[in-house]
Amino acid sequence: MIEVKNVTKIYGKKDNKFKALDDVSFTIPIGASVAILGKSGSGKSTLMHIMSGLDKPESGEINIGGRNILALSQKQIDKFRSRSMSFIFQSFFVQAKESCYDNVSLPLEIADVSSSRRRKLIDEALIAVELLDKKKSRARDLSGGQKQRLAVARAIVNSPKILFADEPTGNLDSITGAVIENLLFEYNKKNRVTLVVVTHDPDLAKRCDMQILIKDGKIAKILGAKS
Amino acid sequence: MRTRDIVIRAGRSLKQAKARTLLTSLAIAVGAFTITLSLAAGSGGRAYTDQIVSANTNVNELSVTKAPPKNQKGPQKYSTSIASTSTALFSGELLTQNDINSIKKIDGVVAVSPNYNPQIRYITRDGQDKYIASISTFSPSVTLKYAAGLTNGDLNIDEIILTEEYVTALGFKNNNDAIGKTVNIVADKLAAPVSAQESKTFIYKVKAISSKSGLAFRSQSSLLISNDSAKALYDYINIDTRNYQNFAVASVTATSAAKAKTVKDVLVSRGYLAQTAADILGVVNTFINVLQGILLGFGALAILTSIFGIINTQYISVLERTQQIGLMKALGMRRRDVGRLFKLEAAWIGFLGGAIGSGLAFIAGNIANPFISKALDIGDIRLLIFDPFSIAIVVVGLVIVSVVSGILPARKAAKLNPIEALRTE
Repeated sequence: MIEVKNVTKIYGKKDNKFKALDDVSFTIPIGASVAILGKSGSGKSTLMHIMSGLDKPESGEINIGGRNILALSQKQIDKFRSRSMSFIFQSFFVQAKESCYDNVSLPLEIADVSSSRRRKLIDEALIAVELLDKKKSRARDLSGGQKQRLAVARAIVNSPKILFADEPTGNLDSITGAVIENLLFEYNKKNRVTLVVVTHDPDLAKRCDMQILIKDGKIAKILGAKS
Repeated sequence: MRTRDIVIRAGRSLKQAKARTLLTSLAIAVGAFTITLSLAAGSGGRAYTDQIVSANTNVNELSVTKAPPKNQKGPQKYSTSIASTSTALFSGELLTQNDINSIKKIDGVVAVSPNYNPQIRYITRDGQDKYIASISTFSPSVTLKYAAGLTNGDLNIDEIILTEEYVTALGFKNNNDAIGKTVNIVADKLAAPVSAQESKTFIYKVKAISSKSGLAFRSQSSLLISNDSAKALYDYINIDTRNYQNFAVASVTATSAAKAKTVKDVLVSRGYLAQTAADILGVVNTFINVLQGILLGFGALAILTSIFGIINTQYISVLERTQQIGLMKALGMRRRDVGRLFKLEAAWIGFLGGAIGSGLAFIAGNIANPFISKALDIGDIRLLIFDPFSIAIVVVGLVIVSVVSGILPARKAAKLNPIEALRTE
């Protein structure tokens, strides 16, 4: 269970103060798919950064599995992120000059996985996104859809518990976007991995179990929450 | 993250920016080149002087002269009570027989022999031309290179060692032909009046032929005879002259090299100047060390310049890879590991520069060695000696220097805020 409790995030100082998140609270059950829906500047990306421990709010708690990750030391948060979380970004962020294999290898190296085990896991992840034949190709030689599939492989290789996807289809045409969506939801259902999708696309949001609408730093509406 | 994985990632990032990596490391290579060459020249130079000194002097031996009076300014006052001489080459007090006798009594002294250097008129052979020659005393402890014949311990009183030049001049067929044959040395009695000149022929058997050596210190054309026969020649030439039995220089033999040092101290306290083989070596080596120091300074300057090159390159690299750093941090890579990644990249650059520089120096040095030896006419002696250990030290040192210069950019990378880094839409 992920519990977001009274999170307030303020940017700027004194006269330029700006509340990006204003007392936001909600709960996500384990294995659910959740859409954080909102216009750009609504604070949805900030919320994702705080939920993953990348950013610290002025007040509030993020309880994951009963632990408030905001109270952890930097070292502990880093370790937690490398073991339990992963990310997919709108602009892929794959390393263009590296091979697909090395791209997928990065989270495993960070999590201290032995190299023999790495080989097996990377192959499995590449098979899951149907990129095994491109294993040795450089990432820059891939098409946009393939790059995002590579990013999905990188996100799932270390079997995360929570998968954050920030506008995962924003840079893709509708056909390749659908492929990525299917991959993510299949993975979510099959492995009971919590999927948090940040998007401004209502159609994508509708596919999720739960929709959290953010407007001007506040929760406007929560749809599909089981209470 | 494991060190091995970081090292591999660091190497891979550099490979992806080949031109930049190579250019940055070339700056270090210039410094490594200079330093490696100057170290090689230094050790080569020291080895060379070491060989020269051991080939020409005996470690147990001291070369002794009379010290000028203390606090003397300007020329020395004449006194009938002291023996003195003044030539273009040597001016000052001479060692008298009394000096030699008293030196003999110093504890640890085995023998004292004045340097006779008899001034002969000429050397010749039956039916051949006459040639001028300089005569020196043979010392069994000094290593000579022979073209023919051999010496076994000291020379006998009637034996001589010729140089190769005299073999052809005196009409021998070749070096081996001369061995065992006799040569004549003619000397004048200096005290004899011009109206009734006296001269005597001394006959010597050729024992060996010394060949020209890059290590020879003394005049190449000196012919060598035993100390006893040098004394006999000297006595005949100089008897009844004013400075008979007064010598500019005497060689004192001590029981050991260590004893030579204490003997030296005693001699100095008694108003003599004494030099051991180690002293001579020390003087020459100081000179070499100063030269080497200057070269090393230039190398260090080149390294200093290259440090700024590394810092600049790494800063640019951090800026270019903001997004990559952000991703790595988002995936849970620790600050320390991000810093290590960039420091290790700097280490790779340093290693590459050090390896290229010292490798090129090694190749260039080995190509140049024969030419240098030829130009300086020192035979097959190599003046640049590359010590694998010091090359390793240079490379390791440069790796450390590079890591240190990589600290600032690495810190910038480690401190990067992942959110800012990933907000590139």
